[in-house]
Amino acid sequence: MSRIALLAAVIYLIILAGVGTLNGAMVGLALPLVLYLLAGLWRGPESLNLTAHRTLSAERISPGSTVTIEITVTNHGEALEQILLRDQLPPFLEVIEGASSRLVSLPARETISWSYTVQGRRGSHTFTHLEALAEDRFGLLTKKTLLPTTGSLLILPSLVRARHIAIRPRQTRVYSGMIPAHQGGTGIEFFGLREFQPGDSPHHINWRVSARQGSTLYSNEYQQERVADVGIILDGRRRVNEFGGGRSIFESSVVAAVAVSSALLGEGNRVGLFINGKRPKWTSPGYGKYQRERIMQDLALAEVGDSHDFKSLIIPRRLFPPNSQIILISPLSADDIPVLSQMRARGYQLLVISPDPVSFEARGLGGRPSLQLAVRIARLQREVLLRDMRHVGVQVVNWDVAVPFEQVARAALSRPSSFLHAIQRGVRS
Amino acid sequence: MTLILTFTSIALIVGVLAFGIAMNGRILASVIVTILGLVWLVLHLRGINRFSRFMFAIFVLISLICVWVEIPPSFALAGITLSLTAWDLSTFGQRLAMTDSPSDARQSENAHLLRLFLVLGLGVSGYIAATLFEVNLTFGAAALLALLGIWGISSLVYRLRSCE
Repeated sequence: MSRIALLAAVIYLIILAGVGTLNGAMVGLALPLVLYLLAGLWRGPESLNLTAHRTLSAERISPGSTVTIEITVTNHGEALEQILLRDQLPPFLEVIEGASSRLVSLPARETISWSYTVQGRRGSHTFTHLEALAEDRFGLLTKKTLLPTTGSLLILPSLVRARHIAIRPRQTRVYSGMIPAHQGGTGIEFFGLREFQPGDSPHHINWRVSARQGSTLYSNEYQQERVADVGIILDGRRRVNEFGGGRSIFESSVVAAVAVSSALLGEGNRVGLFINGKRPKWTSPGYGKYQRERIMQDLALAEVGDSHDFKSLIIPRRLFPPNSQIILISPLSADDIPVLSQMRARGYQLLVISPDPVSFEARGLGGRPSLQLAVRIARLQREVLLRDMRHVGVQVVNWDVAVPFEQVARAALSRPSSFLHAIQRGVRS
Repeated sequence: MTLILTFTSIALIVGVLAFGIAMNGRILASVIVTILGLVWLVLHLRGINRFSRFMFAIFVLISLICVWVEIPPSFALAGITLSLTAWDLSTFGQRLAMTDSPSDARQSENAHLLRLFLVLGLGVSGYIAATLFEVNLTFGAAALLALLGIWGISSLVYRLRSCE
């Protein structure tokens, strides 16, 4: 029941009760309520004729930066006694200065302008409207409308730089790059020897071997360095990313995805992205700064969700060609091993960067002695999981998210896994 | 300010009506009124404002019963006026909570309180003035006047709600 209807009902009740009991004093009790009703209705809003305009000081910012939003509302209709103008903000934005809503009276043909400053976390928001709620002073007559406005704000993920990600896919592309191509040719690293052929640079002649072999000249062959196809899969499954108390490890995965994609695109590789989150999102492979921008925009919108599982994941060959490199960024769960084995069987070279959920959860729960045994068991289970993954040929980097990703990338991803195995470092960080 | 006035109004309603009823020798009814008032107070303290309309209606009804059982009408007038104040301020408090501009909130609060107290003051004065006059009407005339009043209010509310 609306306020006006309740008030009217109460007034009827008093009058009828007064007449029914023939009590004039009782009828008189309705007087304050009747006056209240009339005073409220006297200058209530009849129609709303408003326009709104919004400007943003920036439309694309990094986390922690501020944006000033300026709003102008013009009343083209009659005077409004009381109007609430409310700009509804998404949860990732926080007002740090000014007010996003105003409660004012707006005379006819008057304009009101105000601004406020927001700051926020990663995300994107399109400002489609401003809510206007006009009413009389006592809130008996209410009129609500949404004033259309334009404007969008994109807060990109935090940028973490990883200098170099060492990958060794089975197949590379034709363009020169930084990834050893398992083929002899021009390059830096020694690949093998072959007979001297006309056109070979005299600098490449291996004089020691040629002298040993007698009349034939031999040339050094170097490993060709090419660019490769890299597919990044970001795991946004709720069940592996979210923990008690609303804490999520997903932001760390996004940070890793930004760092890895930036590093690989910087080296000229063709990089694609698949986000398995609230809505599965494919970013088709591409090169360069434009592709980096596309990936950053998609990562800005990435959210955890529970719609899809890896079991139903089909990787389109057009996007991630066989024998290319796949980098999975996921906290992992025990039932992921068969899926990853299948990927390996299809020829993908697989690197898993796994934010460690056990350390993350243990830190969130505090250092209670009663938890120590549980943490130890969970850690052992995870060690077994990671070992099983390594057994099926997956390169796994276990990342304790308390350590900055740059540090992990430098220690465990800057050199090929075979090298790191040889010096007993990195893969078990 | 709005919050303090809302609490004060609720406390005053309880005090005035419970005292009036107790003076009439109905201790149990007085205790029930006190409990109802405390319930309203607690609900408001917990921010559950959607019950304030029911509490308003209940306290108006209690005020009418007070007149019917021949408790002096001034208690009922105070009960109705204060119930209206508490209901109005609890709704206005919700509206104030929607804005995050303190200066707007202060200005709106001042304007609202001024108008509310003016209207209630006029209402109470009108009631007092009305009790000074004595007009004897037959039941038929009284019923006719009541029906006329009801029709007037109904048509006014209907017209305004159709605009809404």
